[in-house]
Amino acid sequence: MNFLLMEHVIKLLLIFVIISAAIIITRRGLGSLVLAYQIQSLLLAFIAVVLFLTDGNIILLGLALVTLISKVMIIPYFIRNIQRRIQNVRDTEFSYLTPIAAIFVSIAIMLLAYVSLSRIVANQLALSKFFFLGAMIGLSLTLIGNLIMFRRRMVISKTIGYLTMENGVLLISMFVTELPFIIEILIMLDLVILIVLAVLLAFGIDNTIEEFHKKLGQFAFWFKDEEP
Amino acid sequence: MIIAYIGIGLCILLLLFAFKSHKMMYFLSIMHSLSYLALTVWILNNLKLPIVYSPSSYFYMDYLSIFEVMIASIIFLCAAIYSRGYLKSLITIQELKKENLKLFYIPFNLLLTVTAVSFFINNLALFWIFAELTTLFSVVLIVVLNAKKNIDAALKYLFVSSTSMLFSFIGLIFLFALTKSTLGKGTLNWTVLMESAKLLPPVFLNAAFVFIFIGFAAKAGIFPFHTWLPHAHSRAPSVVSGILSGVLLNIGIYGIIRMNAVLHQSAELSFGMQYFLIFFGVVTIAVSSFCMLRRNNLKKLIAFSSIEHMGFLLVGIGIWSPVALFLVLIHIISHSLIKSLMFFSAGILHRQYHSNNVNFIINAFKLQPFASAMLIIGTIAIIGLPPFALFISKLLILQQLADISHWLLFAILVFMLIAAYAIVSFLVKIFTGEKKDAKINQYITPFTMKLPLIALIIMALLIGLFMPDWLKDWLLTIVNEIMRI
Repeated sequence: MNFLLMEHVIKLLLIFVIISAAIIITRRGLGSLVLAYQIQSLLLAFIAVVLFLTDGNIILLGLALVTLISKVMIIPYFIRNIQRRIQNVRDTEFSYLTPIAAIFVSIAIMLLAYVSLSRIVANQLALSKFFFLGAMIGLSLTLIGNLIMFRRRMVISKTIGYLTMENGVLLISMFVTELPFIIEILIMLDLVILIVLAVLLAFGIDNTIEEFHKKLGQFAFWFKDEEP
Repeated sequence: MIIAYIGIGLCILLLLFAFKSHKMMYFLSIMHSLSYLALTVWILNNLKLPIVYSPSSYFYMDYLSIFEVMIASIIFLCAAIYSRGYLKSLITIQELKKENLKLFYIPFNLLLTVTAVSFFINNLALFWIFAELTTLFSVVLIVVLNAKKNIDAALKYLFVSSTSMLFSFIGLIFLFALTKSTLGKGTLNWTVLMESAKLLPPVFLNAAFVFIFIGFAAKAGIFPFHTWLPHAHSRAPSVVSGILSGVLLNIGIYGIIRMNAVLHQSAELSFGMQYFLIFFGVVTIAVSSFCMLRRNNLKKLIAFSSIEHMGFLLVGIGIWSPVALFLVLIHIISHSLIKSLMFFSAGILHRQYHSNNVNFIINAFKLQPFASAMLIIGTIAIIGLPPFALFISKLLILQQLADISHWLLFAILVFMLIAAYAIVSFLVKIFTGEKKDAKINQYITPFTMKLPLIALIIMALLIGLFMPDWLKDWLLTIVNEIMRI
């Protein structure tokens, strides 16, 4: 396929990724945070598919599929499922920075990522401008995700921050190099377990400890014996 | 051989699903760690190491990995023996529900398997995944108690550790890309990285190392990524705290040692990176020693002491001479033994007073003479007094540091004195807290809770007083292996 066209498509998708990060920074409703994350992950899956069409590396197609299953389907489903049981559906308080200030800090983060990557990575790895852009946005997304984690109070929105960071790392790996597929699969598995655990802990904070242990027991029903 | 470790772990797991009695789960946990210990001893005596497992070369066994697995097996064995009496007591006072016992024993055994296997991994990305898994299973062990504060501590642990580990992963991606562009084929296998480090551009290797360091530093509780540690270690059940401090912190240090070894094979050794590690080590010691002052919580104090020791290990790794590395290894094993001993002793005191707060611990010598004595002996060891091996490792690492900077040596000595003062003054408060009219029922400590403490103290004393030749040879082999002498 036309490489130039592909480049333009990917650039467009990357802009949407940045917009989704901006939405996660500013929105207060937990539902819209999860939706923004879901869309961001879908965009990443699209990017992987377009990159596959460009260079034909089958790992990218596998990566798109794994992202679709784990990040677009399983993780959002699980978070929504627990979220329904938590009374509080809005994360209204932000620590340290207002949403507008956080957007400005995010722009500064992107500049920082650009400067630091252009000094070290671009020269050494001989990345083209296009691949450099992808890696730069990946690093920015990772740092923005970290910022979200610092600013948010509720565990679920912190978890979305962590997931944004993880999406940033995925983006870097897509544009800098493809790790062996088995490693990518294991990382996704690890991520799913981590998120399930974090969200269960969030459930535990908002409920009684008995309900939390019951939920933990339901999640891994074999962990818990029948009540005598 | 690694299959044997995984196989034993899976068998024990299946049996744990099948059995429901506490006695059986307890027995299986002991058998699990005992079989790992036996297997490790057998490998050490019968196999010629290192072994790289083909075709993917994802797994690897050398004397350092066997050393770490040996420590993990010993600490897990002691924890498993200790667990029954401790958990029974938790159930009696309803801090733990009886039906949640599986929620303890399954992650406990999974953690042992995952920890042991992680030390046999050659591939850094796979090691990263297993290091993450150890965090996840230990988080479950922290939240098993009926206390909401434990959930807070577990969340902090999960987020700080996993977030830092993501930065590590960025470093691994860059390292993979670097090997791909330099060697023609991307790799994260430690054995290949050691061989080809000379070909990799040092500046870029250093940059990747800085990213990788963030994650492993968080696992080891190094400043400024240490914030999770005091909460997690103090809120966890004491049997788990002993494992967190005695085994899991070693995973972070192990990762740093492996990466630093690659860095030192590089064409141009950057002294900046040496100072980078020493700097973080010294700052970690400084912060932890000041945090130890005016503490009221016994387990938190011990947790901060763990941070201090991790800082000290980082200084030793930063020096990176054969002698320093030899001493780092002695420090690792001694710290693991003593720190588990201290957490297990604190656990007995907690069973007595149902609190770790200094104000609640009264008539300790009268009510719990064994745990009190063990805590005092542990303190003597942990502050670096003879006849324990920590005295030797601290003294000689400081001597090595004197070759680099007298000022740093002086600073660390001051911080160590502050830490020693903090821990000793805390103990003075505990053991002088006497109330003649206080009516507290004595908690009868079961022998199974005393036995691991006796074993730990004997091992720590043996290493300090008569370092056996086989251990000395083993450690020297590790040094030669890692430094490629």
